[in-house]
Amino acid sequence: MILIQLGLYFALLSLLTFGGLGPVIPEMQRYIVDVKGWTTPGDFMQLFAVAQTAPGPNVLVTSLIGYRVAGVAGSVVALLALCLPAAAIAWAVSGLWERFRESPWRCVIQRALAPLLVGLMFAAGYTIATPHAPDWRLWLIALVTAAGMLTTRLNSVWLLAGGAVLGGILL
Amino acid sequence: MTGDALNRFDSIAPTPPRTLWELFLGFLSIGARSFGGVLPAAHSIMVEKRRWLTPADFTEVCALCQILPGPNIGNAAIVLGKRWFGIRGAIVGFLGLFALPYLWVLTLAVLYTHWVARPLVSAVVTGAGAAGAGLFIATAMKLGRPIADKPAAVALIAGCFVLVAVARVSLVIVMPIALTVGILFSSRGKL
Repeated sequence: MILIQLGLYFALLSLLTFGGLGPVIPEMQRYIVDVKGWTTPGDFMQLFAVAQTAPGPNVLVTSLIGYRVAGVAGSVVALLALCLPAAAIAWAVSGLWERFRESPWRCVIQRALAPLLVGLMFAAGYTIATPHAPDWRLWLIALVTAAGMLTTRLNSVWLLAGGAVLGGILL
Repeated sequence: MTGDALNRFDSIAPTPPRTLWELFLGFLSIGARSFGGVLPAAHSIMVEKRRWLTPADFTEVCALCQILPGPNIGNAAIVLGKRWFGIRGAIVGFLGLFALPYLWVLTLAVLYTHWVARPLVSAVVTGAGAAGAGLFIATAMKLGRPIADKPAAVALIAGCFVLVAVARVSLVIVMPIALTVGILFSSRGKL
């Protein structure tokens, strides 16, 4: 039963995922934590952190959440559900792309999506860094990391490692 | 003759994978190597190393996958696998891409479940999570800078943030509304 709910939810989310997984993180957290109570907010944040340290597409956070909610079967169901509906669309649309490429609509949609994704990425940063009540230590780590990414050319793996060290010291 | 020679000089013709196995191995190494972002690994494998695609082709596939829903690189595996081998290629590319990262994440999940009770582990992982939040914020600032001078864009950014992060409205409601408003603005040249 829980597998079906998980599968249906991630399949729906698949169609709302534009520009990577970041923009849908707040929605995922809302459903998994607030609506279903499958994990605590702190736990969700830690699962997200664990997924970030793995190589590969960041959608793998869905398998971690699936694993936490329903074991190995949950991890497979969550990942496939998030990927397959979108994959079906990609399959269907790739043939039409040649025609669509020159269409003015392509530009209209791209421009329409940009501010949405920016707003949702800010929301993702805020949601992840604020699992419970606002905590200045988490916000400090987030802001230092953001500054690091904007001002240096370090690989983000090092920035995450820096955050982990700061976490070990501050928390 | 001359045109041929010129072409060869300007850009080396791409050599798409000849077998499903080659396709699988290529996507396997993209999945395995993409620490901190899939796109650089995808570019280095598909364009520079294996020369499956020309740089222009690569940009084109990325552009398509960015306006489709779903994980971009997953979509790229589907689109390219289909282009070269049909449905078998789409499936093999997808499986190759996710095989190693999936096993890695599952291993981490088991380790994490085992160790999380220790306060130091918990603190370190939470710190990495906060850093991940910082990466989102930095990415949002990078992507937002070019459109920050347009009032309609700023209104949409703020609206999405407040509805999703503060009011906690479901994205199932916010996304269609925001996309409609965005398309209205954008088709009138305000974005």
